[in-house]
Amino acid sequence: MLIDPIYIWAAPYIGAALSLILSKISKRVRNYIAVLSLLFSSIFATITLHEFIIGGKPIHTSHLWIKSLNITFGVYIDGLSSFTAFLVSWLCFFIGFYSLKYMNEDPGLTRYWFFFTFFAGSMLTLVTADNILFMFIGWEGTGLCSYALIGHWFTDEEERCVGDPDRKALGISMLFTPSHSGVRALVFTRLGDVGFITGIAIIYLVLKTFSIPEIIENAPEWIIYLAKLGLLLPALIIFSLGALAKSAQFPFHEWLVTAMTGPTSVSALIHAATMVNAGVYFMLRFSPATYFSLHRIHDEILLHMIKDDITIFFTIIATIGAFTAIFMASQAIVARELKLILAFSTASQLGYMFLAIGAAGLCPEFINGWLASFNHLMSQAVFKASLFMAAGAIIHAVESRFIDDMGGLIHYMKITFISMLLAAFSLSGVPLFQGFWSKDSVLEAAAESGKLWLLVLGTLTAAFTSFYSLRLILRVFTGLKSEKVKHLEHIHHIHEAHPIMLIPYLILAIVAFIVGLIWPIYGPEINSNIIKHVLGIEEHYIIHEIHLNPLLTAASITMVAIGFGSSLYIYKVLKINIIFILKRNSVARFIHNLLYDRYYINPIYYKVLVNGFRGISLLIFKWFDKLVIDSLYHKVIPLTFTKLFNVLFKHFEVPVMDEGYNVRTVNGILKFSAFIRKLQSGILNNYLITFIMGLALMTTLLIILMV
Amino acid sequence: MNIFNYPILLSSTIVPLVISIILPGIWKFTRNVKILMSISTLLLIYPLTIFTWILFSEISKQPLLDPIYFSHPLIGKFSMLSDGISTPVAFGIALVTSFIAIYSVPYMKHRFEEMAHEGITPPSWGIYYMLYTMFSAAMIGTVLSTNLIEFYIFFELTLIPSFLLIAFYGYGERMRIAIMYLLWTHIGALTLLIGILVYGFNAGTFDIINPETGTFNIGLAEKTLLPGWQLPIFTLMTIGLLVKMAVFGVHIWLPYAHAEAPTPLSALLSPNLIGIGAYALIRIPYTLFPSIFESASIYLYGWAILTMIYGGLMALAQDDFKRFLAYSSISQMGYLLLGISSLTILGITGSLIHYVAHAVGKAILFMSAGVLIATLHGLRSINKMGGLAVKMPYTASLALIGFMHITGIPPSLGLWSEVFIVLGAIDKALHIGSTALIVAVIGLLVAIGLSTSYSFITMKRIFFGEISEKLKEESREGVLLLIIPMAIIAAIGIISFFLANVFIEPTKTMLEVLSEHK
Repeated sequence: MLIDPIYIWAAPYIGAALSLILSKISKRVRNYIAVLSLLFSSIFATITLHEFIIGGKPIHTSHLWIKSLNITFGVYIDGLSSFTAFLVSWLCFFIGFYSLKYMNEDPGLTRYWFFFTFFAGSMLTLVTADNILFMFIGWEGTGLCSYALIGHWFTDEEERCVGDPDRKALGISMLFTPSHSGVRALVFTRLGDVGFITGIAIIYLVLKTFSIPEIIENAPEWIIYLAKLGLLLPALIIFSLGALAKSAQFPFHEWLVTAMTGPTSVSALIHAATMVNAGVYFMLRFSPATYFSLHRIHDEILLHMIKDDITIFFTIIATIGAFTAIFMASQAIVARELKLILAFSTASQLGYMFLAIGAAGLCPEFINGWLASFNHLMSQAVFKASLFMAAGAIIHAVESRFIDDMGGLIHYMKITFISMLLAAFSLSGVPLFQGFWSKDSVLEAAAESGKLWLLVLGTLTAAFTSFYSLRLILRVFTGLKSEKVKHLEHIHHIHEAHPIMLIPYLILAIVAFIVGLIWPIYGPEINSNIIKHVLGIEEHYIIHEIHLNPLLTAASITMVAIGFGSSLYIYKVLKINIIFILKRNSVARFIHNLLYDRYYINPIYYKVLVNGFRGISLLIFKWFDKLVIDSLYHKVIPLTFTKLFNVLFKHFEVPVMDEGYNVRTVNGILKFSAFIRKLQSGILNNYLITFIMGLALMTTLLIILMV
Repeated sequence: MNIFNYPILLSSTIVPLVISIILPGIWKFTRNVKILMSISTLLLIYPLTIFTWILFSEISKQPLLDPIYFSHPLIGKFSMLSDGISTPVAFGIALVTSFIAIYSVPYMKHRFEEMAHEGITPPSWGIYYMLYTMFSAAMIGTVLSTNLIEFYIFFELTLIPSFLLIAFYGYGERMRIAIMYLLWTHIGALTLLIGILVYGFNAGTFDIINPETGTFNIGLAEKTLLPGWQLPIFTLMTIGLLVKMAVFGVHIWLPYAHAEAPTPLSALLSPNLIGIGAYALIRIPYTLFPSIFESASIYLYGWAILTMIYGGLMALAQDDFKRFLAYSSISQMGYLLLGISSLTILGITGSLIHYVAHAVGKAILFMSAGVLIATLHGLRSINKMGGLAVKMPYTASLALIGFMHITGIPPSLGLWSEVFIVLGAIDKALHIGSTALIVAVIGLLVAIGLSTSYSFITMKRIFFGEISEKLKEESREGVLLLIIPMAIIAAIGIISFFLANVFIEPTKTMLEVLSEHK
């Protein structure tokens, strides 16, 4: 080994620390050091990938952190983590490079670079970690950074928001400020994280280890343990909650949509390079162990039970994925904001990945689905990073996030147009692009799973995808110039993006194209390397060819054609004005609003969950905490005692004690003394009588006592 | 077990306690606040140094004892103990108190001026620092005690100065609230005392640990008390400590006292003082009544989850920043109780680390509330804030670190405590049964979801969004003496995340020793 692969994640962390320190010295140096640290990380990742492929065995380095619990910080490099780290680190570098210009002159740059590099470090930590707790730390780190970066423009100016300023759905405002969106991202994903950490806890309690290789190696053990308790299915779902939330799968998808309030570079980072891939990565990491443990359990009755549970689990995952794919793609069709279209698209593509990994568990050949999911992760990351960065350049140029304010930009931004077209083709799955191959393999996995609805939803999504992709290109680059563009023309010239911004997204678009071209030749070799020594996959697979099912390919190409065709027809031939249709047709208006308001999921969440909790909180505070508890302790108990004391005072202290001591006793004594005084009258006879009476009394007493 | 040749641990509490008495005199002669502050800080840095040294040195692997400094045939022997259970707690106290002594200068200056404005002349700086130092040192003494009577004496010693500090320098109806505070904590303390006395006279000793041999009197109460007496005495002790912790049902004194106390004191009361209740649960009822504790633990477990959720819900309803923090402390006490009631080594370790994490986090948060009060003329209403991060970037960043500590986000020490508490809680639930596991997971989802929500929603309401015109003019960053102590505490919290080993290792070993004897 040339270098310790921990530098893959350590370099960005060091960059984060340095960017804080250097900000006091020189702003320029701070920016360069931050990007340089990302470059270093990419180089280390490349070297490590190279070593892994050459060496042909997993690389594992480990440093002890918490001794008694055997918590280590280290790196485990297998096919999955080496390729993911390679992809993530390079994309982070490209996006960082792009930010040099895009974020130029932003007042919060120190914060930006700190969290940007920290984000990259956390993502690479969770990808390469050899210890599940260490993975969890990276996982939580990405949550923190997404919160900070989505809310980067925390002063909440309207142009930084997402949504229409005055629009309300079911009475809930659909405008989301950056600071609000940041909180949403954090809270949504942390709900899932509770599930993740619970899963870690359950596994630790059975295996007494946090080491990922050991957890996967001994998967049958904890699976059997849970199956015996009848908890296998709930535990698997709880364990995957973190992944579902991070990757914005239904019903956790809402945070990703409003995450668009961050700078566009951050959107690229979250949607392509980091965050959302974490959930898919998690599934890729742990699903082989779940699946292949079936081959290693020999108890017949138990195996039957476990197999049922695992099949249900994978069916749930695949269905959630397929549903999210079409659910989000349908919303992209009507979205008016450039970044929002891309955001819906990301969630939809992530749905494809979940569909594939879920279908893998149902297929006769697990690795086909597994590879489809990973290949789609790779292609999505590349074209989505490119699309987002190009979108950032466009938003910069026209100073608006709405596509209504664009149009006709092809005249000003030719290279951006070409780059975006290439990436959009890859997204749509136009044959020979990278996205085509990966999406086809996803659909193939769906077909092999034997669940018809997965295939139907997956194929339909393809039509939606190509429709909105082309719609985006047509609305932004072709057609009539919008008022805004015309207006801007007069003030200053709209021009092509600065090379520092242009180069990264152009390169990535070209990559998406070229990889697609060479995929039939090099794809099998790359895929063979990807599944080499992946934890949990014990057999050695050699992929000989990229497989295409002619029927499926035909179906998917037809879908793309339908999508493109209808998009072209509507926007180029009919040149429909949507507002016009909506004014006339109530059904069209209903469908449009349903899609535009995101199926009212968001207002429902706010009405039920947010307002529910707020209402409960206020109610309990007012009627229980203040009224019952506070009054009980600070009114009822003290008052009761006061009353009690008053009663005591009135009926005992005054009449008994006060009277007794101060009145009666005194009077008694006075009377007594008067009586005594009376006795001492000086008359001898009286004394004598008293003396005799006393003597008689004493004698009587004595006699009584003696007897 | 190691015994020091000199009473080093005792000195960490007695030296500040004794020297603090002359502080009013020094004020009379010098009239210089800086001198008072320096002396007070040094007096409290001294224990901090000792505990930092113990944490990092090899000797921390075993319990450390002072030589016996008091002995009586009936009461037992007084010594001081630093082991994996008490050292993190003592470290947390020393850390927070020593730096808040510095923070007190600008804050109390503001408070003195404010009170002068109202026409009140509170007792002088000398009295303030004397009470402050006494309070801090007495808390350390409580934690290190090896004998129940010794514990109770120090416990009382914390109450009087804190009562006076609220009564002298507090806000609102400070006299009434101070008395309320004294009364309710005393009810807790007396309940505990009855338990202690009945146990001690039956057992013939008040020792928790024999300071000569270093053996804990594990289960001694169960051996010496009549069977019919065990449960009532256990209940008395536990309830007494739970009142101190302010768990759900007996929490109502806390929002008043912690919100209306002068802010430096709030920053000590909220994480440090009430957390001692949690520490003492392990040290006293868990050690003396291990099997009863085990059978009661399931109720405490439910109570803990209820407290976590209830405190979080109540925090959401608050508008006063300090009252919000007070309710959040109630919720955090639920986390501590959850870890302890799991009765697993990991869970209890998590609770003890959470003591430190919460001390760091909540202290920073109260201090940032103080920065807002001192710079924005007593502004406490969250509704009137917003967008302050533009003008107060350091306060905002530090408050974020504070919230990270209480919600368990890396790189803060809170991550470890959250992980361990959940590990312990799940372990316990799994052993009860499948239904319990599902209930526990739902409870944790709601509780952790609430903690995250109330923390970051409040962060947003105070520091993010648009800034009002009025605040735009008035607000500026807090003065250096307010910010620097916060920054130091925050930095130590983050460093502790990386060096978590020094907290986890001895604590885990110690708890293993305790549970082996069962």
